[in-house]
Amino acid sequence: MHAESSSTPNWSRGTGPPRWPERLLGWLVAPHLREEVLGDMHERFYQRTQRLGLAKANRRYWRDTLAYMRPRFMKRQPQEYPNPTFSDMIRNYLTISFRTLSRNKLYTTLNVAGLSFGIACFLLIGLYVFDELTFDRQHRKTDRIYRAIQHKKTPTEDLTIAASSFKVSEEAKKRIGDIENSARIVRTGRANISNPANKNSFQETIAFGNAGLLEVFDFEVVDGTIRSALTEPNTIIIVEDLAQRLFNSTQVVGKTVDFELNRPLRITAVLKNHPRNSSFTVNAVVSEATISSDSEFTDWIANWDSQTFQTFFLLKEKANPDVAAAKITQLLNANMRHEPGTSVAYTLQPLADMHLFSENIVDGARNGNVEAMGQGVLLYIKLFAIVALFVLLIACINYMNLATARASNRSKEIGVRKASGAFQSHLIHQFLTESLVVTTISFLLAVGLVNLLLPAFNEFTNKELSLGFQTDYRIWLYGLLALVVTGLVSGSYPAFLLSGFSPLLLLKNLKLQNRSDLSLRKGLVVFQFTISVVMIIATIVLFQQIQFMNTKQLGFNKDLLLVVDINSGKVRAGAETIKREFSRIPTVKQVSTTSRVPGEWKTIPTVRIKTEGNADEGKVAYWLGVDENFTKTFEVQLVNGRNFTGLRDSSSVILNETAAKLLGINQASGQQVAIPARAMGGSFHPLNDANTPFNARVVGIVKDFHFQSLREKIAPMVLGYEHNPVHNIDYFTARIDGRDVPATLARMKDILASVDPTHLLEYHFLDEQLARFYAEDHRRETLLIWVALATIFIASLGLFGLATYAAEQRIKEIGVRKVLGASVGSIVALLAKDFLKLVIVSILIASPIAWLAMGHWLDEFAYHITFPWWSFALAGFVALTIAFLTVIFQSVKAALMNPVRSLRSE
Amino acid sequence: MRRSDLGEFEEVVLLAVAVLVPTAYSVVIAEALEQETGQTVSTGAVHAALQRLEQKGYLRSELGEATPERGGRRKRLFTVTALGGRVLSEVRAVRNNLWDRIVPQTILTWS
Repeated sequence: MHAESSSTPNWSRGTGPPRWPERLLGWLVAPHLREEVLGDMHERFYQRTQRLGLAKANRRYWRDTLAYMRPRFMKRQPQEYPNPTFSDMIRNYLTISFRTLSRNKLYTTLNVAGLSFGIACFLLIGLYVFDELTFDRQHRKTDRIYRAIQHKKTPTEDLTIAASSFKVSEEAKKRIGDIENSARIVRTGRANISNPANKNSFQETIAFGNAGLLEVFDFEVVDGTIRSALTEPNTIIIVEDLAQRLFNSTQVVGKTVDFELNRPLRITAVLKNHPRNSSFTVNAVVSEATISSDSEFTDWIANWDSQTFQTFFLLKEKANPDVAAAKITQLLNANMRHEPGTSVAYTLQPLADMHLFSENIVDGARNGNVEAMGQGVLLYIKLFAIVALFVLLIACINYMNLATARASNRSKEIGVRKASGAFQSHLIHQFLTESLVVTTISFLLAVGLVNLLLPAFNEFTNKELSLGFQTDYRIWLYGLLALVVTGLVSGSYPAFLLSGFSPLLLLKNLKLQNRSDLSLRKGLVVFQFTISVVMIIATIVLFQQIQFMNTKQLGFNKDLLLVVDINSGKVRAGAETIKREFSRIPTVKQVSTTSRVPGEWKTIPTVRIKTEGNADEGKVAYWLGVDENFTKTFEVQLVNGRNFTGLRDSSSVILNETAAKLLGINQASGQQVAIPARAMGGSFHPLNDANTPFNARVVGIVKDFHFQSLREKIAPMVLGYEHNPVHNIDYFTARIDGRDVPATLARMKDILASVDPTHLLEYHFLDEQLARFYAEDHRRETLLIWVALATIFIASLGLFGLATYAAEQRIKEIGVRKVLGASVGSIVALLAKDFLKLVIVSILIASPIAWLAMGHWLDEFAYHITFPWWSFALAGFVALTIAFLTVIFQSVKAALMNPVRSLRSE
Repeated sequence: MRRSDLGEFEEVVLLAVAVLVPTAYSVVIAEALEQETGQTVSTGAVHAALQRLEQKGYLRSELGEATPERGGRRKRLFTVTALGGRVLSEVRAVRNNLWDRIVPQTILTWS
C-alpha cells in the first residue's frame, strides 16, 4: 500500500474529496463493501478534479454519493454469531413491560392514576409559570428593549420610578450612539371615547405615544399599516375589541372618533387585542403630535427632570445597557443643575423583566387617573414551581414504593433471567423501560386531563393558556423532559436495587427481605405524608386569614356602599345639587362626597403637617377631603371634638387617632396646624406658587379605620373639608338600603345626565372593591387547596397499594393467627398500625415546617390571625382519617378471609 | 434463453467488462460508458449492476492492487465468466437476427 500523501502531488487536505459525504458513505455502506466503494469514489473524484476542476468534482461527488443510498450497499453481511441489535432488545423490553403491566392490573392502575394526576398538576402549574416567565417576549426585539428607570435621591426621600422626561427620551436617542430608537408613552387619565355616528361611548385610558412606540414594539394589526400610524397629528390607534364596541366592525381605518380632546381623531390602525402575557393594556393610543402644540405639552417637554413619560429605549445590537444608562445619566447631569442634596441617575430595565422584577419601581402613571401596569410576584412563581415539583415527586415515590414492594413477587423472574445469562444492565434497562412505559401512558392521560381542566383553570387565573399543537415548542420540550426524568427517577431505584440481587439467593429463597429497602420505603411514605400535611395546614391558615380579612372590623361599615366616580368638571361643580338629588332617591340613606374612598386603588395624596410653633418640616400623613356626611355615611366613629358643619369649616381638619397621637393631640380643641406641602405618591411640592402653607384648626378626632389593605398598618390620616386646597372631591358615596339596585342606578344616571349629558356613570360597590385587595390571595388559596387535595390523593393511592401488598404478604401469618384464635379487630389493628405509625411521624415532622413557613407568610400582613394551633390537630386528623380509610379496606378484607384458603396450599 | 435475466443497463455493463478485461472495475466502466453515451454514469449504478451480474454468475471478481488515487484502497476487478460470455453471444444473435429481418426500406425512412 502506498502512502497516499507522498505519492500524489497536490493532494493536501483542501483538495481531497468533500469530508461530509465521505464520512456519510463510510457510515452507511456495509463494512465489507466500504473499501471498494470509497476507493471508487476517491479515484473518480481525483480524475474529475483533473478534468473538470475542484468545484464540479465536489458537486459530482455529492450526487454520486446518493447513488449508493440503496439497500444493496447498506445491508450488512450476516455474522457468524447472531448478536441481537439494540432495537431487538428494546422490542423485547417493551413486550415484557406490557405483559407485566397487564398482568398486574391493580398496580398498573394505581401507578398510572397517581402519575397522571401528578403530571397533570405539574403541567397546569408549569403552563401558568411559563406564561408568567415569558411576559412581554412577543416583540421581535425584546432582548434589545429597555425601560428607563429614574432613581431620584433627595434629602427626604428616595424614589425609583419608571418615568423620564421628554428631553431625556428624545435627546438620548439623538446623542447616544448605543441607542437606536426610543418609544414613549404617557397615560394622562381617563376620558370617554365615542363614535360620533352612533353615540357609542366608552370610558378609556387616554394615552399618548410617539411614532417610535410602533417601531420599537411589534403590535400586530388587523387593519391599516402600523409603521406610520402615529406620525401625524390627530390620529389614533385602537385595539380590535374597542373597534368592535364602537363600530361593530374591526375594519375602521379612516373613520373618526371623539376622545374629549376637542378635535376629531382619525383611526390609522386597528391593533390585535394585546395578548394576555403582555404588560401593555391600553386600548387606545393617540399620536403625540396631536398635542405637541398645546401649551400644557410645552410645559411637559421643557424640563429635563420631569417624570411625565414612560420611555423604552431600543439599544443597538451588542450595546451594553449599563454603559448606555450611564451615558443617559451623564447627558442629564450635563444639561441640568440639581438642587443641593439631590441626585438623579438612570438605569435600564430589560423589557422581559418588567412583569416580575418591578416590585420596587413606582409606575410612572401614578399621578394620572389610571391603573398601574399589572405585575406578577416572583415569590409566588417560585413557590408554585416548587409545589409542582413536589407533586410530581410524590407521584414518582408512589411508583418506587409499589415497584420495590412487589420485588419479591418478581424475584423468580429476575432469578431465571439472570441464570439464563442476562447482565445486570439488561435488567436495569428492562425496569427502566417498564417505568417509562407507565410514565408515557400517564403523560398522555395527563395531557387529556389538562385539556379538560384548562377552560376552568383559565377562567380562574385570568389567562389564555392552552396545551395543544399551537403551544410553544418549549412547553412540549419541558414536558418531554419531565416525562423522561419522571420515568427515570421512578424507575431507577427499583431498577438498580432489583437487578443487583444474586440469582442463587433469588431462586433458592424465592423471597426478598431486605431491611434497608423496607426502611427506605417507610421513609418515602413519611416524606409523602409530610408534604401532604404541610399543604393541608397551609391551606387552613390561608383560608383563616382570608376569612379574617373579609370579616375584620374595618372601622367603617363597608357593606351597601355605592361609590360613583366624578368624571367631569361640570359634575364636580354641581356636586352639591347632585348630592341633594341623590339623597332624595328613596333607596338611598346617606350621600357623601370625598376625594378618595377607603380601599382606593388610585394614589391617595400625602401631606406634611405640623403643629403650631414647630420648626421641623412636618410629619407625613394621608389626606382625605370629605364633607359633613362622611362620618354618617361610612359609619366612622367620632372620638372627640365635632364633625364638619358646612362651608365655614373649609379651614378645619379632623385627624384619625394615629395622626392625633403623631402630633401629640389628645383632645381636639381647635389646635392650629400648618400643611405646607403635599405629594401624590412621589416627592413633596408646596401647595401653591407663593409657598404659603394651608393653616387649619383641628376640630375633631375619629377612630382609626382601615383605608388601605390589611397588609398595611393604619397610617396617620388627616380629613380635610371637601373644599380644600389639597385635593378635589372625586367620588359620591351613597349608603343604600339594598332594595332594587338597578332602579337606584338608573335614577342616579338621570340625575348626573341632567347636570352633564356627556357624563358616563361609573360606579362600584365598596365591599367588592375591597375584596380585590385579596383577590390574589383568594386565587392562591384556591390553587393551594386543589394542589393539597391532589397530593393527598396521590399519596393515598400509594398507601393503598402498599397496604394491599402488605396484606398479601402476610396472608399466611394472618391465617395462622386466626386459627390460633385472633379476632378480626386485632388483625385489622395489626395491619393498620404499621401505616398509621408512619402517618403520625409525618404529622410530627410537618407541623414545625408548616408553622415556620406560614408564620412567615402571616407576618406579611400588618393585621393577621394568631397562628391557628388547632390546624395541626385538624390536618393530622384529616391525614390519619384518609390513611386509615385507605388501609382499612384491605386490612378488613385480609382479616375476614377464611384461614383454610390461605393455609391449604403448600 | 431467459431474457428477463439481463436488463439493458446490465447488458451494457457486461459488454463493457468484456471490452475492458483485464482491468475492468467500476470507475473505468463508468468512465467508458460516460464517453460512449455522453451521459453521466455514477459508479454507484455501475457497481450495483456489477453485483447483480456477479450474483447471476455472468461475472467473476477479485480484489486488485491499491493505488494512490484511490486513497490507498484496493479495487474490485471483474472478468466475464463462460456463462456470461454465452449469454452475451445469445443476446447478440437475437439482435442480429432481428436486424437482418428489417426491410432496408424501413431503415431508409428513419434516417
